[in-house]
Amino acid sequence: MSEALDLSDAEAFAAEHALGVLDARERAEAEARMAREPAFAADVEAWRYRLAPMLDAIDPVPAPQGVWTRIEAMLPANDNSAMMNKLRFWRNSAVGGFALAAASLAGVVVQVTQPPIAVEAPPSAPGQLLNASLTSTTGQPLPLFVAAYDPDRKALIITSLLPPGADRDKVNQLWLIAGQDKPKSLGLIEPGKAKIIALPLEVMAKMSAGAKLAVSIEPAGGSKSPDGPSGPVIGLGELSRL
Amino acid sequence: MAAAATTPEMLSSLMTRIASGEREALRQLYQATSAKLFGVCLRILSDREESEDVLQDVYVTIWRRADRFDSTRAGVMTWLSTIARNRSIDRLRARGPMAYAGSIDGLEIPDGADSAETLLSAADDRNKLQGCLSELDDRTQTVIRTAFFEGVTYETLARNMDAPLGTVKSWIRRGLAKLKGCLQS
Repeated sequence: MSEALDLSDAEAFAAEHALGVLDARERAEAEARMAREPAFAADVEAWRYRLAPMLDAIDPVPAPQGVWTRIEAMLPANDNSAMMNKLRFWRNSAVGGFALAAASLAGVVVQVTQPPIAVEAPPSAPGQLLNASLTSTTGQPLPLFVAAYDPDRKALIITSLLPPGADRDKVNQLWLIAGQDKPKSLGLIEPGKAKIIALPLEVMAKMSAGAKLAVSIEPAGGSKSPDGPSGPVIGLGELSRL
Repeated sequence: MAAAATTPEMLSSLMTRIASGEREALRQLYQATSAKLFGVCLRILSDREESEDVLQDVYVTIWRRADRFDSTRAGVMTWLSTIARNRSIDRLRARGPMAYAGSIDGLEIPDGADSAETLLSAADDRNKLQGCLSELDDRTQTVIRTAFFEGVTYETLARNMDAPLGTVKSWIRRGLAKLKGCLQS
């Protein structure tokens, strides 16, 4: 056998997670680290696939009748309604993230004072300052994005709190969900960056307290679906008054 | 189940259809793969009822995350089985720190047994892993296999082997490092 160097602590932890020897607390820690550190997530994935051929040895056992029926009953009709279900669920939880959103907004406002684009503020600009904290839709509602809508600037300022340089094959796409409308794309957001999105008037008209912002993970170039996100929604939040 | 006729290419195209929201494709994938995944859940959980719950959860997860499947990184069966194994281990951990799953009679691992329709890896990968595992000393091999198939924690392993936790940890860490070296050579 070729003499192998010891694994680094990080890779050993990744390998242990993939093997499945960690207890519940360490396992949760590993999952959180995967969400934060793409390199660590890649190590875990590599180890999972390295070990997976062992599963070949497990014999198939026909699943009992009825399991499929139960699965089918749990499926959302399509991706869109899956998101709407999440929305209904997260509408209630969004309040919890509000304090955090307000705290994070302080940082955003600083950035807004030095905008790369100069916008004149027409006196007739509709609407009010709004903000939203977009929290994760699974596990703990951690803030993943903070957004501020400034009608004077006719712009939405969104800051990604995700680590920069995450998954290069995927993009984060921002959506506005107002009332019964189909989700409307507001563009792509780079992980770890703040972005000022100029909004046309018809979009500004929909920026009101209670409207929701969502971020989905999409293939390069954004969702291919005309009806909204095609990938999983990772962050969701409701616009509310400051 | 019509698993025998299922090729990796067919599974791949089902995944694409599932990612675009086609229920019928998920049903076909279920027909082709559920027995294998149920086997994986049962092997780790040793409890039929819990395995059914997890199996359900696994296919709902597949439905939601099919777009994340990346055929350049893993085959469909590898991806699916890995989800089934992870979800089973999550479930196992949720039982609490003292939970220990024994193996069920009749579900002992037939070491190296291949049933043609259920192979999830290329023969090369399988043989290579098998070869590299067999180069480890017996004790290390046993502890890694037990951890993998039983989904047990370091703590449980140490208790069952009547060895100090730190010792079991270093057996596994060293074994995994050797395994990686061997697989890369």
